[in-house]
Amino acid sequence: MRLLILFGILTLLITIGCKKAAVIEEVDEKDWYAGGSQTFFDQSGGAFANTFVGLTPTQEQIHSVGDKFFEASFVSSPSPINPGLGPLFNAVSCVSCHPSDGRNSAPAEGDNLHNLLLRISVSGESVHGGPLAIPNFGLQFQPRAIFGLTSEGNVNVNYSYIQGNFDDGEAYELRQPTFSILNSYMSFPSDAMVSPRLSRPVFGLGLLEAIPDWALLANQDLFDSNGDGISGKANSVWNVKDQKMSIGRFGWKAGSPTLLQQVGFAFSEDIGITNFLFPLENSYGQSQSVNSEKELSDSLIYSVTFYLKTLGVPAKRNISDSEVIRGKQIFTEASCVKCHTPKQKTAVNVAFKSISNQTIYPYTDLLLHDMGGGLADNRTEYLADGSEWRTPPLWGIGLTEVVNGHSNFLHDGRARNLTEAILWHGGEAANAKIYFRKLNASDRAALIKFLKSL
Amino acid sequence: MKILLFLSLAVITISSCKKPTEVTNKVDSFEVLQKEVLSDLATNVNTASYIGLASKSDDLYNVVLAFNLNPSEQGLTEAKNIWKETRAIWEQSEGFLYGPVSSNNIDPQIDTWPVDYNALENVLNSSNTFSESEINALDDALKGFHPIEYLLFGQNGNKIYTDFTQRERDYLIALALNVKNLTNDLASSWDASISSNFVNHFKNPSTSNPIYSTNNLVYLEIVNALIGICDEVANGKIQEPFIAQNPLLEESPFAFNSITDFKNNMVSVQNVYLGRYNADGKGLEDLVRTYNLSLDNSIKAKISNAISSLDNINTSFGDAIINSPIQVQNAIDAINELKNELETGLLPFVQTYIK
Repeated sequence: MRLLILFGILTLLITIGCKKAAVIEEVDEKDWYAGGSQTFFDQSGGAFANTFVGLTPTQEQIHSVGDKFFEASFVSSPSPINPGLGPLFNAVSCVSCHPSDGRNSAPAEGDNLHNLLLRISVSGESVHGGPLAIPNFGLQFQPRAIFGLTSEGNVNVNYSYIQGNFDDGEAYELRQPTFSILNSYMSFPSDAMVSPRLSRPVFGLGLLEAIPDWALLANQDLFDSNGDGISGKANSVWNVKDQKMSIGRFGWKAGSPTLLQQVGFAFSEDIGITNFLFPLENSYGQSQSVNSEKELSDSLIYSVTFYLKTLGVPAKRNISDSEVIRGKQIFTEASCVKCHTPKQKTAVNVAFKSISNQTIYPYTDLLLHDMGGGLADNRTEYLADGSEWRTPPLWGIGLTEVVNGHSNFLHDGRARNLTEAILWHGGEAANAKIYFRKLNASDRAALIKFLKSL
Repeated sequence: MKILLFLSLAVITISSCKKPTEVTNKVDSFEVLQKEVLSDLATNVNTASYIGLASKSDDLYNVVLAFNLNPSEQGLTEAKNIWKETRAIWEQSEGFLYGPVSSNNIDPQIDTWPVDYNALENVLNSSNTFSESEINALDDALKGFHPIEYLLFGQNGNKIYTDFTQRERDYLIALALNVKNLTNDLASSWDASISSNFVNHFKNPSTSNPIYSTNNLVYLEIVNALIGICDEVANGKIQEPFIAQNPLLEESPFAFNSITDFKNNMVSVQNVYLGRYNADGKGLEDLVRTYNLSLDNSIKAKISNAISSLDNINTSFGDAIINSPIQVQNAIDAINELKNELETGLLPFVQTYIK
């Protein structure tokens, strides 16, 4: 009898035990911990600005030095503080395009472009297969110059509007920007390829960088052998530091192989601060070219890179909300997940355990996809052709309005909300968009609510 | 004996019945209080500060105009004083650098640092006419409080009225007008009568509110901003020039106004905590002392301590970092202690009691 009771209790315990485990797994499936161990339960305006936990005091110090220079305003040389600005530039600081470590809003109609930049090139390829610089303009258009010098010109933006309807008849409107270069200091070639780029949030980048190459390559489907209309291609770009070709990860077209190179390029092209990776002023070869020594020390470029590498990821919210669960289901059914891959794993890294062996939920495959003519910039960047873009991570996207006070999305900020962003999808994502347009209003709302939970 | 047991049971039953009601009442009134504090803070502190800033910026513009028409040492002194008064209100608003002041990019346009000396001299030597559009087109490092400070006080802080060129006065007028316009925009952006304004999101958290879906989120914003300014003052504005032993890194060097700036930043924390600027309404203190009087006392003591630690520095900041290191280190420590109390006391309080 006693044995029977004991057996009964044991069975009960085991049943309870099993059930609990199942619940835990369910929560895990719901990817609450977007950034693995570096997830922050912060939905405030500072949600993109959380420093990794578990850093050593030295690492914290490097992070805070990087933070300081990320926020610092640079001024023209010589100056006792933050010298080196320009002579040509787009912005005076990192933070002016990444407020609160987030993204800028799109420029307003008629604005002289300060918060968005244009990458430019002519047809052909550089030595390493990258974009070919425009003589006298380079690879990026700088509409600003230090006082007394002439900038490369002005950029004007105008919007046209496109009307459309969901299948249930509800109307929507999309806006399409046109960028024009005015008053250029020299004649700007009419056949130039111009790609507008708005800033992106800068958290979680250390984790994205830690996803192994093989994991990205494994998701490629270059010839669409599974016939789902979605291919996916890793970019292959010149790695300036290692002097070899590497897989591209960062930037709207995955044109940078490493965070370090992305930072170095931004300092050089955006602010006019030369560094060991990009030692020539962005005005090099132009009539107003100024030769200057390396303006950013190696330790500072590494500190700023480390700062970005160690910004944690905001946790998902409202994961048990029934509408969010429904939206997640739709996100899968509409095949959004085929490019916005929810889950990734970072490589083991014994030297830096904060980013080592983490399961993260960035909602990206970091691969290039054809997004159709509507979004095409018609500018090639290594393997990315004129209509291909890197799948941008979606983590934290639901906090954009809280952190940055706007909801402008896509490479040029044309989408004024998430619905418009989806409606701009084309090419490999055309079917997903058609699926979205067919949904009834409550399912569309559920999908948006799911995105806002990220 | 049995009766005793019965009685005690009855007492337990009665008291256990009573308690939940009390608790419920307390919770209900605490929720009401949360809304009152948000409304009072928005009106009495945030909006009132911005209205004060706009009005003082109007004064600055007028006094600079008058100085230009009738240059005199008295006129210059008046302009310098009004600049300091304007600056005081701005620094007292840096404990709440969220909302339009950052999302509309007003902060960098009026308070970018450092000043770009070379460019500023180039502007003066140019044929720039200082029209509104030309000023708007200038880089942030060439407009706002610090270039005005540079022009009014001079690089060594000893400028007298006869040192001014007409170009300097023209530039000064244009910069004062620019600050006046921007601070007036800032005040309007907190005008609660415009329903789409940020302030109405701030005061009314709800599930349909695009920025703050819960009270908790607004309060986290408020507290994180307080922590942020303590961190910036202690570990940035004071510590960096101090460690580098370099007065050139000081933020407000021309007017020797840095210590006052730091102190006003701490006053900003106090204003938010007490819910008072000119008018005294409900503030964070009212919430905290509902549940934790000792935390309330401790935060207040640490705020006072931070302010008095800055009062103890009796010389200019540039001089103090070299010659009064103990006082400077004490100020860093006192402000970090306040920051720590906000992080480990106030922040968990908000997480626990404000949903």
